Amino acid sequence: MCERRPISRRNLVEAALALAASPLLRYVPAALADQADISEIAPGVFVHQGRYEIQSPENRGDMANACFVVGRDGVAVIDTLGSAVAGRELRDAIRAVTNKPIRYVINTHMHPDHVFGNAAFKEDDPVYVGHHKLARDLASRADRYLAINKQMLGDAAFQGIEIILPTLAVDGMQTLDLGARSLVLETQPTAHTDNDMTITDTATDTLFLGDLLFSVHVPTLDGSIKGWLALLDKLSRREAARVVPGHGPKAMELPGALESEQRYLATIANDVRRLIKEGKTLEDATKVAGFSERDAWKLFDQYHVRNVTAAFAELEWE
Amino acid sequence: MGKEDSSMFPSLVYRTGFAAIACAAHILLAPAAKAEQDVWPALRQQTFGDRQIQAEDGAVILEIPGTAEDASLVPLTVRVPPAVTQKLKSLTLFIDKNPDPLVASLSFGPAAGSGGERSFSTRVRIDMFSHVRAVLETEDGILHMATKFVAAAGGCGAMQAKDPDAETVDLGKMIVKTFPPALSTSPIWSSLVMIKHPNQNGMQLNINTADIIPARFVKEMTVKRGGELVFQMQSTFSISTNPNFRFTFGRGADNSLDVVVKDTDGAVFTAQSEPSGS
Repeated sequence: MCERRPISRRNLVEAALALAASPLLRYVPAALADQADISEIAPGVFVHQGRYEIQSPENRGDMANACFVVGRDGVAVIDTLGSAVAGRELRDAIRAVTNKPIRYVINTHMHPDHVFGNAAFKEDDPVYVGHHKLARDLASRADRYLAINKQMLGDAAFQGIEIILPTLAVDGMQTLDLGARSLVLETQPTAHTDNDMTITDTATDTLFLGDLLFSVHVPTLDGSIKGWLALLDKLSRREAARVVPGHGPKAMELPGALESEQRYLATIANDVRRLIKEGKTLEDATKVAGFSERDAWKLFDQYHVRNVTAAFAELEWE
Repeated sequence: MGKEDSSMFPSLVYRTGFAAIACAAHILLAPAAKAEQDVWPALRQQTFGDRQIQAEDGAVILEIPGTAEDASLVPLTVRVPPAVTQKLKSLTLFIDKNPDPLVASLSFGPAAGSGGERSFSTRVRIDMFSHVRAVLETEDGILHMATKFVAAAGGCGAMQAKDPDAETVDLGKMIVKTFPPALSTSPIWSSLVMIKHPNQNGMQLNINTADIIPARFVKEMTVKRGGELVFQMQSTFSISTNPNFRFTFGRGADNSLDVVVKDTDGAVFTAQSEPSGS
């Protein structure tokens, strides 16, 4: 992946000049900021930071980062939050910044907090874009995701949620042209899920990692711990002006941004491997593995045991 | 086996097959509607007829987390405390609200052992919050039941594979290990059996062809110690992907195990235990 990196030296120089000409976090009208808490982290690159929470009627599924990139000819949205209501607020915020057509709605992976706002963009008739495995995986989980989110969000926030699958399935690398700037999409091997896709805005060298990167919010493992650690190792050797996590601050820097997550996953893997070697069971592991990380993360109690369970089931076959 | 027992086994096999076919209809039920039905009275009648069941009498203990953090992989352990000295005839596990409530049905043989704590552990899928039941039949023909209620935590599809493309890699690979007791005087050994198998439920759509992906799961496992039966198990897709079992067996002259697994595609997988303690 590193050798296929789409960023040319010329792009980087252009981006550096563009950045030098504008402050990192540009002024955003107060009304908009109140409405959706959006910052322009690089010229034409906007990020809304989700809350470190699980779904609730109060947060309306606003619990992941959602981004949009404004080009000369149109807008690309990257992840749409966890409800049509929250997605609608995101759309209103985009409309407060630009009237350019919303051409693409990109989902970094299948999880509800990143795709359930897709319906808010139907009137824009965008191309919905995702990893080629996203459609299969989301479709097979749709009933379950809808039932659980209806229960957790409550009727008001659940209103309008639809499963909208990608109309453009990406396998490998693909470029979307927004006019004078392009987004490079790269599907990744099984890591956080089996349908993670990263996006690079070449104009500003901003790398959107989706849930391949968690910060503050404990990572959630729904793919392969070995695959995720291997991918993080590759990503840590990559260069980018900034990265945007799926959960965490609006912008972070490589390679430091990845270190906490690498430590968390490596701790689980090491602990679980040791317990397996000692003949311990899955139940034993869920009580001890990785608990040294407890104070380092938010939502640890909600997700950690599940992460250990998935890791154990994977690593016991080594 | 009593008169009732001889008829129980084939009916379970039949019912399992039927339920697998009926699943497509089950999944169309709104989860809320399914949640409100108490299926146990019918299930109980279907499986055990009018036989009495002694609930929570201490002969069988069921251990399962009250909240399933990962609904696709919930550890479940059944223990028969040492105070129960009889031989065991059968063990049946249910998850009331699963598409097929029968998880597994074990018929124990002469090598199942006695004279210490006996146990059976596996990992199950729990489709939604549900009662989970272990019904143990002791040698005297009495049925004993332990029940726990489990809430499945949100966000995880219990029936979905994390990485469906990786699931058929090494299909049928097995690991069988035996462990001598901590006290060498104990007549009860333990074993671990792992099977690489997707244990698919047959309820998922192939998005490219709009076909239902056919069910394929482990339906039978036979464990023998030196030619003598430890148990024979009938099972369903309520057992998690890559079925995993830990269980006790009685000490023999030779404590190596032979395991034969059959799946719904008719594939047969066999394995022998590695030298004990390895």
